[in-house]
Amino acid sequence: MKKLCIFSSLILFFTVMVSVARAEVELTYWTHEDPNRTEIENKYIKEFETANPGVKVIRVSSPSGKIAEKVLTAFAADRGPDIFNMEIEQEYAYIINRRLAPIDFKAVGYPSVKAIYDAYLPRVLDPATFEGKLYGLPLELTNWCIYINDRIFKAAGLNPAKDYPKTWEQMVEVSQKIVIRDGQIIKRRGFDFRYPYYLVSMVPMVEQLGGKLISDDGKKAIVNDQAWIKFLTFMKEWGPNGKNLGSPTYTPARSLFNKDKNDIAMCESGLYQQDRIRKDNPEFYNSKEWRVIPYPVFKNAVKNVAGNYYGHYLMVNASKPKENQQMAWKLIGYMLSHPEEYLSKVGLIQPTLKLMKSDTFKAMPYANVFKEDMDRGHIVYYGENSAKIQECIREAVESVMLTGASPEQALEKLKRRAQEALEEK
Amino acid sequence: MGLRLIPVSLFQVKRDMRKRLFSRGIEHKKARWGWIFIIPSLVFFSLFSFYPILNALYTSLFKKKLLSLASPQFVGWDNYTYLLRSPDFWNSIRATVVFTLGTFVPILVFSLLFALFIMSRKRFQKFFQMAYYSPAVLSSVVVAAIWLLMLDPRGLANQWVNFLFDTPGIDHKWLADSTMVQISTMLVYFWKYVGYFTIIFLVGLGSIPNSIHEAARIDGANGWTDFWYITLPLLKPTTVLVSIMSMLQCLKTFSTQYLFTQGGAPLEPINVITLNLYNTTIRDRSIGLASAMSIILFCMMLFFTWLQFKTFKSEEVDY
Repeated sequence: MKKLCIFSSLILFFTVMVSVARAEVELTYWTHEDPNRTEIENKYIKEFETANPGVKVIRVSSPSGKIAEKVLTAFAADRGPDIFNMEIEQEYAYIINRRLAPIDFKAVGYPSVKAIYDAYLPRVLDPATFEGKLYGLPLELTNWCIYINDRIFKAAGLNPAKDYPKTWEQMVEVSQKIVIRDGQIIKRRGFDFRYPYYLVSMVPMVEQLGGKLISDDGKKAIVNDQAWIKFLTFMKEWGPNGKNLGSPTYTPARSLFNKDKNDIAMCESGLYQQDRIRKDNPEFYNSKEWRVIPYPVFKNAVKNVAGNYYGHYLMVNASKPKENQQMAWKLIGYMLSHPEEYLSKVGLIQPTLKLMKSDTFKAMPYANVFKEDMDRGHIVYYGENSAKIQECIREAVESVMLTGASPEQALEKLKRRAQEALEEK
Repeated sequence: MGLRLIPVSLFQVKRDMRKRLFSRGIEHKKARWGWIFIIPSLVFFSLFSFYPILNALYTSLFKKKLLSLASPQFVGWDNYTYLLRSPDFWNSIRATVVFTLGTFVPILVFSLLFALFIMSRKRFQKFFQMAYYSPAVLSSVVVAAIWLLMLDPRGLANQWVNFLFDTPGIDHKWLADSTMVQISTMLVYFWKYVGYFTIIFLVGLGSIPNSIHEAARIDGANGWTDFWYITLPLLKPTTVLVSIMSMLQCLKTFSTQYLFTQGGAPLEPINVITLNLYNTTIRDRSIGLASAMSIILFCMMLFFTWLQFKTFKSEEVDY
């Protein structure tokens, strides 16, 4: 009986030890929807789980427009994921509110933090750096250029190789030649903006005219009234109450472009658009009847600046156990060790020096156009209240385009609201 | 002596109470069962309605950011004074009031008219009930998404209106004009909820005994006088119910405005309080300010409900 008791106790002890040893680390990874990326990341996750027994990764994707809300409410309830990514304009608030874990360079696979900075293009890690610590690594760094549908250009009697718009004034002229209307209703647009993304696509237009979103000392919002008024006047003319070339109420140009249905000739998008065209409409992709041109500049621009680039940074939740944090950085390191596959299969640029010099990057159609535009652009404005400031610009643009406000009226309101947002703590 | 008297008097009181309790008998038992049945809903209400209201009231007195790990800073009524001085918040009150008046009054009138129409039909009553009610079963988000497609400049709304009025090529700017976008949101809400309130009016109409109408006819009342002097007064409690329910529904409107602004419509004309509240919470992460907004909206709803009760004097029915 005594022997049996000892034997049973030993069995129980070993069972407990084995179960403790096998205790799983469960990582949750929240990201935005991108079917091409889902495919390769699921593969990486499987490989990572095989290489790290006891680790389970749950990857959850949400629509781009919804992920910010989802992550915010989860963090507010202290139920945030282990790993997530969003646009840096959204993520920055998490860094300065100390909700994120600083990078674990060893887990990511670097000998030091300095080695990480050295591996990436200069300044691209600045948005994820706070008080000397690095809080994220870029899943993608994206800038937008102009995609052109050659077929529509030719149908409108234009030569896409020569007649493509180099200036915003030419963009108006070309669009007027391409546009087809049924009375006031546009059936085919030449070009249209990506309206919700004012910080990325429209602030550079103001900068070309000599204006700024925030002053250099960071204390004043909306610098140089004349530049802003010129920009708002341009947008008013673009809209339905002006030359009627486009409007935020039409289906977004980028969503229509891939279909090649003779309803949009030009749209703004990143390198990733190419893989989406290939997936959505292989015939159009293979026809080579499309091209990419640089971001236009105003005729009398005082500054030659291209569209802003923005980053989606992979970040780790600081409220998770240390073991999870370490494993999360390890997974990030593993995923980001395949930058060429991210580029060739998804069209995402992970801006390491190695990738930018690689043959894969050089072989990507129009990669040089994106690279050159990136060189003459800069990172999008990011701050704790950048989302609110973007909303202020949105209201100003909408009010001149749609509700009949004058550029001066819209500017006055924009200045007041943007300044209030900037000063808000 | 005094010390002895106290226990005696307590004993008497206890005995009297027990007597009184027993004398209430069945009524008391019924009341007790009533409480037992009500308790789950009271607990549910307290947990999911009353507690959040109190919590919102408490939070509204603090400056609190959703992501901040720092302790919320007590600011007293500052959030309320900020809101009452903010032109943006007053614009939200304007947008909410315009939407509510522009939606609930037509809903009230037309749901009554549709109910009378259905009641007057000898055949296809069920069909009409189903036809009117069907939009109410759709989710608000789905409804807004469907209408967003229809109100696109190249959508069905422009096509139908231009066909009906023979105005080819006119863009009615359903989403692109500050007046039209307000009318569009009202239209969507009216379409979704009119059938629901029609059914409530139908129930109210059905509960009026036929004998009263027959007596009125014998006394020489025609269709109009019967409706004006018999039906309408007897329908007063239903009218009060419909008007309060539809008004509260309109004050709480959110998904239509939210989806329309996501679809490119200008924010300012339709920035109702709930949408402002959402943006203040999710975009600006200012939960204290958003809580103050929700308390102001709550007070508005209470006030308008009280006002309607006062105006209609729902207890009194004259005919």
